[in-house]
Amino acid sequence: MRRLLILLVLVGTAASAQLPGLSRRTAPPPPPLVLGIDALRADFIAQAGSDKIYFGGDSAVLTPPARATLAAQAQWLRRHPEIVVRIEGHADPSDTRDHALAVGARRAAEVRDYLVLLGVPAAQLSTVSWGKERVAVMGTAPDALALNRRAVTILVR
Amino acid sequence: MPLLLAGLFGLAPAAAQQPAAVIAIPPLTTPDDKSTGPASPAAIAWQASQLIASDLRTTAELVPIGPDQKDYYSYPEVTAPTFSRWRAKGAKFVLTGFVRSRPDGRLTVGCYVYDADRGRELGRTGFVVSADEWRRAAHKCSGIAYTAATGAPGIFDTRIAYVAESGPPGARVKRVAVMDGDGNNQTFVTAGDTIVVTPRLSPKAENLAYVSYVGGQPNVRIVNLGSNEQRPLVAGSDMSFAPRFSPDGRRIVFSMQAGANTDIYVADSNGGPAQRLTTAPGVDTDPSFSPDGARIAFESDRSGSQQIYTMAADGSGQRRISFGGGGYAAPVWGPDGEWIAFTRRLPGAGSRIGVIRPDGTGEKLLTDGTYDEGPSWAASGQELIFQRAGPDGRPALYRITLAGGPARKVVTPQDASDPDWSGTLD
Repeated sequence: MRRLLILLVLVGTAASAQLPGLSRRTAPPPPPLVLGIDALRADFIAQAGSDKIYFGGDSAVLTPPARATLAAQAQWLRRHPEIVVRIEGHADPSDTRDHALAVGARRAAEVRDYLVLLGVPAAQLSTVSWGKERVAVMGTAPDALALNRRAVTILVR
Repeated sequence: MPLLLAGLFGLAPAAAQQPAAVIAIPPLTTPDDKSTGPASPAAIAWQASQLIASDLRTTAELVPIGPDQKDYYSYPEVTAPTFSRWRAKGAKFVLTGFVRSRPDGRLTVGCYVYDADRGRELGRTGFVVSADEWRRAAHKCSGIAYTAATGAPGIFDTRIAYVAESGPPGARVKRVAVMDGDGNNQTFVTAGDTIVVTPRLSPKAENLAYVSYVGGQPNVRIVNLGSNEQRPLVAGSDMSFAPRFSPDGRRIVFSMQAGANTDIYVADSNGGPAQRLTTAPGVDTDPSFSPDGARIAFESDRSGSQQIYTMAADGSGQRRISFGGGGYAAPVWGPDGEWIAFTRRLPGAGSRIGVIRPDGTGEKLLTDGTYDEGPSWAASGQELIFQRAGPDGRPALYRITLAGGPARKVVTPQDASDPDWSGTLD
């Protein structure tokens, strides 16, 4: 909604620039307020706290901290219904190849369902599982494994 | 005869403890041919003899001696070797043969395997091949020697599919690769522009099923290795993965995911609708047909942890066969039907390769790596290839025999994962 309004304002300015008297403005025109996807992503992470949530071993259960992060993500996404989001589920490298794919899918689906429950339109959300194909942190120490068991909410456009 | 019986019964404990038998490999002879040069019958005969010895050296059951240039014999002696001479060297078996040029420029390759004690022929094979196909003929010779000694199919004229990996962690380039069973003849099937996993060969290595992210979601694709033509196995955008061919190559079992649920399906490998075989909540995956095609082993976490189940090929009679702690993943039914190989996940201690009988008895672990996974059977049913991750997380392929002993690394040009070993080619 906000972006739509901004666009209208810009169109309005462009049109009014044609009017006599306004072309001799001394102050430079304000920078365009249409935010690029990178800026939107930065705003999303700043407002929601994180674009990632983490899971227990072999689990797709949303922990209380994960729910808090997703609630903040949902708030932001409800304010930006024009943004399309892909939720990427990941497993840790100690999982086996195919089970990791299924677990990543289950984590992504849990996140999507919870965001929908919090009022984000389902049409805004898609999911994909990366299994253990996109490792965030190398190594097999418990801490490293825990940082790989994640779901990432990615603004696509 | 005791040896043949041991082979028939797969892994009889007595066979497992038997010391390896010595097989003499005097160089193949080249009758009436004095030509020289790299493509001459004499040169090919010498290379083929070396390849046969090197094939048999990779087995746990046979120890080859030779080839030695001193042991040349005449053409008539191919079918009448001097057994006493080989017995004196401790050989239980002798392999002889010849390479002969034909008027059409191709070669005739013949091989004979004998019991050195009894002076009796155990098997023979012969081929007409072009000069650049001599390796396959040599692998077939190795195969009859192995079968004569063990009763099990030869593993030499086979193909191995795997995923070749390169690049930094987090941005790995992964390509489907196929090589001969001896590591020769490496070819890439995919270009590396999209992530791929789990290539699976049809029994005679004519077709290959694999999982690609090319459409955004992981999806099973089928590629004809002769024409390189590709297509998705099933239509639609649901994630599909974990494909495996039926023993006759006509069907493919695989997993498909809908929401948080993953079930097992079967489809004709030439296309057509998929039929759903499992409905339990949770993840049902890694299905694998029994060698007669009548049953399917698979992995399910419906009980709370990954465990192995079996069912009839129509999905009926689902039954859990593993009960240990941690988890059991990626069951693969062996070609003689005796064993199901699996990846055992040990809580906090990585993963190992093991085998269990289809009735749930006889479970044993075969490897001691930190992260071993994804076993695939050799055609003999006596050996497995699998993926082992090193301390830095980089994967490589290893082989292990059912009889035990250390795992041996399979050399590949790049890091390698997800191996799949075909049956013996025609």
